[in-house]
Amino acid sequence: MSTAEPLIRLSGISKSFGSVCANRDVSLDIEEGKILALLGENGAGKSTLMSILAGQLQPDAGSIFLRGEKVVLDSTEKAIACGIGMVYQHFKLVRELTVTENIFLGTKGGFWLNWAKMQDEVTQLAEQYGMRIDPAAKVADLSMGERQQVEILKLLYRQSTVLIFDEPTAVLTPREAENLFLTMKKMISKGKGIVFISHKLEEVMAISDNIAILRRGSVVDTVATRDVASTAELAGRMVGREVLLEVDRVPVELRQVVLKVDNLNDELLKNINFELRQGEIFGLVGVAGNGQKNLIETVCGLRKPKTDCIKILGASWKKFFSKMRWDNALSYIPEDRQGLATCQGLDLVDNFLLTTRGGFTQGPWLLREEARNKASHLVEEFDIRPPNLDAFAWQLSGGNLQKMVLAREFYRRPRLIVAEQPTQGLDIAAAEDIWNLLLKAREAAGILLVTGDLSEALALSDRIGVMFNGRLVDCFSSDDEAKVAKIPQMMAGLVEESSSSRR
Amino acid sequence: MTFELLIPLLAAAVQSGTPILYATLGEIFTEKSGVLNLGVEGAMIVGALAGFLVSKFTGSPVLGLLAAGLAGSLATSIHGVVCLWFQGNQVVSGLALTILGAGLANYLGTPYVGLSAPGFSPLALPLLSEIPVLGQIFFNHDPLVYLSYCIPPVMWLFFAKTRFGLNLRAVGEHPAAATAAGINVVSYRWLGILGGGFFMGLGGAYLSLAYTHLWTTNLTGGRGWIAVALVIFAFWRPIRAVYGAYLFGGVMALQLRLQASGTQLPSSLLLMLPYILTVFVLVLSSWKKGSSEEPAALGVNIEPVD
Repeated sequence: MSTAEPLIRLSGISKSFGSVCANRDVSLDIEEGKILALLGENGAGKSTLMSILAGQLQPDAGSIFLRGEKVVLDSTEKAIACGIGMVYQHFKLVRELTVTENIFLGTKGGFWLNWAKMQDEVTQLAEQYGMRIDPAAKVADLSMGERQQVEILKLLYRQSTVLIFDEPTAVLTPREAENLFLTMKKMISKGKGIVFISHKLEEVMAISDNIAILRRGSVVDTVATRDVASTAELAGRMVGREVLLEVDRVPVELRQVVLKVDNLNDELLKNINFELRQGEIFGLVGVAGNGQKNLIETVCGLRKPKTDCIKILGASWKKFFSKMRWDNALSYIPEDRQGLATCQGLDLVDNFLLTTRGGFTQGPWLLREEARNKASHLVEEFDIRPPNLDAFAWQLSGGNLQKMVLAREFYRRPRLIVAEQPTQGLDIAAAEDIWNLLLKAREAAGILLVTGDLSEALALSDRIGVMFNGRLVDCFSSDDEAKVAKIPQMMAGLVEESSSSRR
Repeated sequence: MTFELLIPLLAAAVQSGTPILYATLGEIFTEKSGVLNLGVEGAMIVGALAGFLVSKFTGSPVLGLLAAGLAGSLATSIHGVVCLWFQGNQVVSGLALTILGAGLANYLGTPYVGLSAPGFSPLALPLLSEIPVLGQIFFNHDPLVYLSYCIPPVMWLFFAKTRFGLNLRAVGEHPAAATAAGINVVSYRWLGILGGGFFMGLGGAYLSLAYTHLWTTNLTGGRGWIAVALVIFAFWRPIRAVYGAYLFGGVMALQLRLQASGTQLPSSLLLMLPYILTVFVLVLSSWKKGSSEEPAALGVNIEPVD
């Protein structure tokens, strides 16, 4: 079916944000009548790439060809005019308007609107693609699946030829997802090209024709779906195994238990059991969205467990968080370092004080000068640039901000550290600094490391746990070669839960 | 109160409600685009002075009316520059416009205090004014009152049935979605601000060219603020604004009549009546949140994308 020229050809696209490289020399073809799946962990550069295609971001280098002709997509309108449409993960719909109003929003035409005729058009268009929707319903009253249909109809009404779906099934029920796949099949049978962004491997295997895998901003693999034997193979290709880091992991003597999770259940997690001791890093791997977030939030006190099933430093969850000390306790290094770990509009001293203020108070007074002295030592010690305490958090690059967060958290001399994607979006040099800091920190603490990067997990962790579908599938030593080789299968849910997960 | 007294009171309610109606419709138009303009009072009084001066020097109240509308738009364009070009705080900018407008109009108008200008006079509509009761109440006024009858349905049609109205509403509800649909959100907010300012200016002109034919200081007397509150009472619907405006007009007219009748109540208490009603209405309408059509992005600036 494919013609000589692909609908869209991306050639050598690169894009950096400050020192963080989001896309590095990416080349991709989107073909007529084909579904291209774009696979990659969070932060691999999928969203940046698609924002470039949707005209929201401009690439630093590289070009885009539309049916062989070079185009510059410098605005969303331009992208829409070129027939490129994006179904966003967070729908861009006006809740207070009806389905028909949303679909016709921004279209050209006469002064008066003929609602009856427009509603007929919407119904007809929906039927062509196997959708059923009430054109007069208010968007606010629709289910997530129906809202997505409105987004799709918007693009179809505008004659889009390339439709980009950004994790479309994340908000859908399984039934709605199946309907979506039927609609997508109808679309490609009518000659549209589809880009399907996901990290649900089964879906990718089921629906796509071609798969492109992104890791750290680059396309590391493109493959026809029929050539992929199993989801396990796909998982293996996705997380990769190449050793790109040299860190010395000298075993440290294990001491007392700092975290004990005993049968944790919630709406997503099922029977999570594990222990973490001072002196070890426990690496939790798995495809994003399999329960890691809930687990971290529960351990860090952001989400209340239903039963008394967590012991932190020997105290129950409730007791620990009701009188948490600022030092010698728990440090959380969140994935969202700009939103959760720091305040963008505050300077470095205030950001330092965010979690350490307990150590700089005297009665009602804050000892800001003392904190400033301490912070300036840390900036020097951790080589944070610019070494200016009056700089605001938003002025720091991702790597320096992360170092500043680590400096602050280590200053608290934590005994339990929860590190979530600690090197995401950082360049290799910055990542290595952080790896070494974590390894050193484990002498005094137990570290729960959650990462989407398997090579990072293997390099740092003493033990590995694999999560799938809310379960801790297996826990094993990172020296256990046989088990390590099976990680991709476990991540894809192809291995029965082993009895050793209770440890 | 006897029937004979009630009919003139209701007619007076329509008359004193009209400037509030113009201003309320203007603010609804502006807020539908997502811009909160608290400078209604300022735009009204600038419009009132412009209308008065143009009518006085050209002798044509119609030209005066037009000038008043344009002056209203000109005044609110300051709000547009602050909020749309510089992403300034909409509340602060609106308050500044009120203070600026009142100061400017009172200063420029000082030489004309107490002078009169040609204005609009009552004109009984043939046939309609002969309808018993209703004719007396609604169809025995000046042309500006009749004009104000036409605007709410037209504005409703604009919002509900035209492409521009749909786009304007979308910009007020969800600018990001409107942008994604290819709408130039900033131009629609300019339309909301300038169009709304035009109606506010007309509201001011009603005071200087029809309600009185005089210029005095503080001519608007807080009517702009009542309009801001009435927008909430009206749930942002043009037709409902009519009820609200006449309700307030009625209380204002009643208060005047009570003062004239020489009641024992202190006049300052009576003067408070419309404003007490404002507070009361705001409390009541915040109860019925469900049916409100408050634009979701009201008061939220559009950040420029780079």
